[in-house]
Amino acid sequence: MSAEHAVGLASDMGIMALLALSAYLLLLVGRISFGQQAFFGIGAYVSGIASAMAHWPLSIALFAGMLVGALASCLLALPTMPLSGLHYAVATFAFGEMVRVGLQAWYFQQETSDGPVGPAGLDGFRDIRWLLENDVSPSQYLVLIAAVLAIVLLAFAWLERRRLGVALRMTGHDDVLAATQGLAVTRLRLVAATTAGALAALGGGLYAHRATYIEPALFDPMLGVHAVSYALIGGLGTCLGPLLGVAFDLGLLEATRVFAGWRMVVFGLLVALFLRWRQRGLLDEALVHRFTQLFRARTQASR
Amino acid sequence: MNVRFFFLCIALIGMAHADARPKLELQCVSIGEGPALECTARLQNANGEPIKTATVTLAAHMPSMPMAHSIKPVVAVATNHPGEYRTQLELEMPGVWAIQVDLSAPNRDRFIRRMQVERCEKGKRCPALATSLTTSKP
Repeated sequence: MSAEHAVGLASDMGIMALLALSAYLLLLVGRISFGQQAFFGIGAYVSGIASAMAHWPLSIALFAGMLVGALASCLLALPTMPLSGLHYAVATFAFGEMVRVGLQAWYFQQETSDGPVGPAGLDGFRDIRWLLENDVSPSQYLVLIAAVLAIVLLAFAWLERRRLGVALRMTGHDDVLAATQGLAVTRLRLVAATTAGALAALGGGLYAHRATYIEPALFDPMLGVHAVSYALIGGLGTCLGPLLGVAFDLGLLEATRVFAGWRMVVFGLLVALFLRWRQRGLLDEALVHRFTQLFRARTQASR
Repeated sequence: MNVRFFFLCIALIGMAHADARPKLELQCVSIGEGPALECTARLQNANGEPIKTATVTLAAHMPSMPMAHSIKPVVAVATNHPGEYRTQLELEMPGVWAIQVDLSAPNRDRFIRRMQVERCEKGKRCPALATSLTTSKP
């Protein structure tokens, strides 16, 4: 594998990990979303417009994408959170498709010396060239993606040790019981959905600048299904689970290149067999508990 | 702190600057049933002169299957014609592919062209057509 390809693959893994973490956060509160690709797409388009058309710096463009992604997710969550799990999944799927079809019909272009720039319906949005114009190399961009991901993972690790983290998990395990314990279940789910939208949009913004080209077809339901599978394959026991799921998923995709056009078929079969073997994913709650106990025993023994 | 990351942070707060971009003409033909895709890239600078010393890499992915079907980058070789570079990509299936042309020298740049790639009869060559799903703004 060439260094260039390895850097590209690692960057994709970092970006997909953000999308997987957004699906993971919703799974924690007991909601399966098949619409996270919509917020990924919204983040990609908004941050692309901000940097390629408004010429904002990358950091502000990414933040703008996150903000709009969070707002869209919050607005979707307000009417859909009272729905049951299955109905919520269908509602998010429908929203994802609505956004994709909306992007297919959306034209918002600006004339430049190099031709028109901006969303052009089905033809997508080309020339999101901030990295090229500012001479940021792919390996430098990988460092940035890794830094963003590390900050997000640290935030998750911090959250999971706090009351809010426990409350989110309680909501996911049994919302009726959580409500009887005095937890504001709907508000917790709203916070989780808004944050998940922001995370997916951040991933989308990073993706748009890496690829320089986005189009509505990229944000189809397949991406949303993959986001949920990353979290399920990696395991729901810890925030490292989705990261592991992404590495497993993209690693397996790379390893099955030999099957060429049949790669996705073989890949799907392998994932199905894997989930038959480990239904709660690689890093499930039991394994995380075992690791924690082992770590505690060693710490106590060393004292 | 990583020095590169420090400079990246500095770059993050800087504003974008634009140089005149080179011009790319990309022609591709699919070969056989695979199909393999042979692409010829012709590069000119802003003054219309051929760029003879470019380092050109081609890659491809299927936009309809994000992350699923992508072809590893392949370095294109300069032909006898000045500013012309050629390489072959082994595609996994026919369909609409986004061909990514990367220039790493003399300046970094990236061009994306969508191509409709058809399956050809064995040993034959069929032109891959540049696709635009919408012809004009509604």
